[in-house]
Amino acid sequence: MYILKNSLISIIRNKGRNILIGIIILVISCSATVTLAIRNTANKLVKNYEEAHDIIATISFNRQQLSNNFKGGEDARKENIEAFNNIEAITIDAVKKYGESDYLKDYYYVYATSLNSETLTKATDSFEYEVEDRQTTTSSSTTTEGGGNYGMGRPMQGEGGMHTITNNNTTTVITRSKEIFQSSRNLTGDFELDGYSSYDAMTNFVDGTYQISDGEMITDFSNLECVISSELASLNEISVGDTITLKNDNIEKTYDFTVKGIYKDNSNENDSINMYSPSANQIITGSSVIEKLVEDDSSLVTNVTPSFILKDEGVIEAFSSELKEKGLNEYYAVNTNLDQIESATKSIENVKTFATTFLIITLIIASIVLFVINMINIRERKYEIGVFRTIGVSKFKLTMQFVLEILIVSIICLSIGAVTGAFLSKPVGNSLLKSEIETSKNAEQEISNNFGRGDKMGPMEMNHNGMVNVTEIDSIDAVVDFTVIAQLLGIGIFLSLISSLASMISIQRFSPLTILKERS
Amino acid sequence: MGILKLENVAYRYKDAPKDKYVFKNINYEFEQGKMYAIKGKSGSGKTTLLSLITGLEKCTEGHVFYDGKDLKKMNLDKYRNTEIGIVFQSYNLLPRLTAIENVILSMDVSKVKVTNKKQKALELIKSVGLSEEHCNRRILKLSGGEQQRIAIARSLSYNPKIIIADEPTGNLDKDTEAEILGIFKHLAKDENKCIIIVTHSQNVCNEVDVIYELK
Ligand SMILES: Nc1ncnc2c1ncn2[C@@H]1O[C@H](COP(=O)(O)OP(=O)(O)OP(=O)(O)O)[C@@H](O)[C@H]1O
Ligand SMILES: [Mg+2]
Repeated sequence: MYILKNSLISIIRNKGRNILIGIIILVISCSATVTLAIRNTANKLVKNYEEAHDIIATISFNRQQLSNNFKGGEDARKENIEAFNNIEAITIDAVKKYGESDYLKDYYYVYATSLNSETLTKATDSFEYEVEDRQTTTSSSTTTEGGGNYGMGRPMQGEGGMHTITNNNTTTVITRSKEIFQSSRNLTGDFELDGYSSYDAMTNFVDGTYQISDGEMITDFSNLECVISSELASLNEISVGDTITLKNDNIEKTYDFTVKGIYKDNSNENDSINMYSPSANQIITGSSVIEKLVEDDSSLVTNVTPSFILKDEGVIEAFSSELKEKGLNEYYAVNTNLDQIESATKSIENVKTFATTFLIITLIIASIVLFVINMINIRERKYEIGVFRTIGVSKFKLTMQFVLEILIVSIICLSIGAVTGAFLSKPVGNSLLKSEIETSKNAEQEISNNFGRGDKMGPMEMNHNGMVNVTEIDSIDAVVDFTVIAQLLGIGIFLSLISSLASMISIQRFSPLTILKERS
Repeated sequence: MGILKLENVAYRYKDAPKDKYVFKNINYEFEQGKMYAIKGKSGSGKTTLLSLITGLEKCTEGHVFYDGKDLKKMNLDKYRNTEIGIVFQSYNLLPRLTAIENVILSMDVSKVKVTNKKQKALELIKSVGLSEEHCNRRILKLSGGEQQRIAIARSLSYNPKIIIADEPTGNLDKDTEAEILGIFKHLAKDENKCIIIVTHSQNVCNEVDVIYELK
């Protein structure tokens, strides 16, 4: 008990030194609280971001694998394309099968095809005149058709290689045609029809590349509803509520789509070359609509782009091998957006690193200053140590007393500093993490706007992507929590030990007699 | 049998040359109930000898026995805070504390059983000729002689068997010196303590039972 009593007396009677030490510890604890709070907030922001942005796996060609098997040289071109066409395309059924996985939270896909239209004008800055060469003579008849090429890997005629020579009564038709052999995966209709399986699949709208400028997003994914680009709308003088007619030339069937909304493509604002954006002829609808079109015509060229929402980054490997087991061709690779997510949180991580570095530097400087103050005081303290030792206070108890002294000062100043820091951490943290907090806050509102829904989300539910469920971080005063207190306490103890190090070494090293003699 | 026994004691400062001993081959025995004076020229090693007896330094050669036990095998902290009272040449009081606090501190450290430590400390301080007013002054606000008397009061506070004083009357006038010597004498005769005083003073030498001279 007398150790505590001695410590208290010593603190009170050595005001000068203890106030000095106290101020330093106060400053440290204050800045430590701020930095720790910022670190904490940064961690939460990163976690928030990671919760809001799922890890999404997509399937793409493994080009490395493709080129390994392809041959070189002029003559090999046809062979290569044939080989490419032989690689089984990813079908809607396969995607649905892949989607049934324990590693996934959910999945979505874009199921796309293309149609033509007799009533709509395609937005294009180059178009071909069709040459009428439908000629019937006594000897032969040739019909050339333009437009719809819907077959799989079908050779098509190009560059009008047809010559007709007519002599009085007889007609000789010499047809020279160049075969263009092209990928069977290309959608060759004038209008690309993108069928989305859910709102989450509309990543262009989620990230703001596309934005509804008039009307709103489709609400029924199986009805003949659509959203068209502003360019197509103005070219054809279409407004929200109108009906557009698309045609499958293969089976001569037309489909009437109700235009629910018009979107603007923000991605090509800086394009100075093309008249229309690449998305001008892109029509947005539900995936079930495409399934209906395929029911009507199974030869319709389609492609499907699935996105699989993984449970967490730990299952990437497992999911990708599961797909292989389920029959995904070796020419396909499973990719994820992990890198993107990591690079997006980089600025927050930078603030965190800055805060940590700042904290470490403050701690180092403070430790040195505290050590020096105690070194300066050690002459006086040495004499004290000598007296205590001669009257029979053990080294251990004496060390305890000295440490206790600093500890009491530290704890008092640490508490004051922590409270001050808690108040300061809000403005400081907010200004450092301003843009990140804003981003996190506004994400929900912006997405809602992109879908043309304004404030209210309406019937739209964006559950699994979690975009709307992001916990808002608009203040960081809540972050001076248990973790911060614990970390602060650790720092306090560390500083106390550093401060008492000088005296502790003296206690262990000097014999009392030498110390006492120094005095006289 | 003596309470304190020196056996072939020799001492050399660690940084001194190998053959330069302060003293060598000291054999002596101190008994309870007697007053001793250690005499010798300045630099003859009196203070050094005291530091060996008090366990602040270890003998280079030989042994010091307290009550039959070798100091080298004892808990020296406990030895100093209960068995032996030390009054140093340079007083060695804590300047941050008041006079009475210095005395009470020693009682605390020794864990001596006293019901009212403050009362006891006050009595002790009065017994060395200081007033209540001196008690509550910081050490540095006392004169050399007053500090010396506080140091004596402190060494008495936990009732040790041996009291060792390094020139305790060096800073005192004749009257006070006599007063202090009276206290020591009383402790030796009536309370069976062993009193060892290092001194140059002839007055002190006249009062003691045995004089030991260091050469
Ligand atoms: N730390 C030390 N290292 C080396 N030699 C020392 C040390 N302390 C003292 N001495 C030497 O040891 C000898 C004895 O010193 P000591 O202090 O015991 O003398 P003393 O008899 O008490 O003298 P005084 O009457 O002046 O107090 C002296 O010659 C001194 O120079
Ligand atoms: Mg001396």
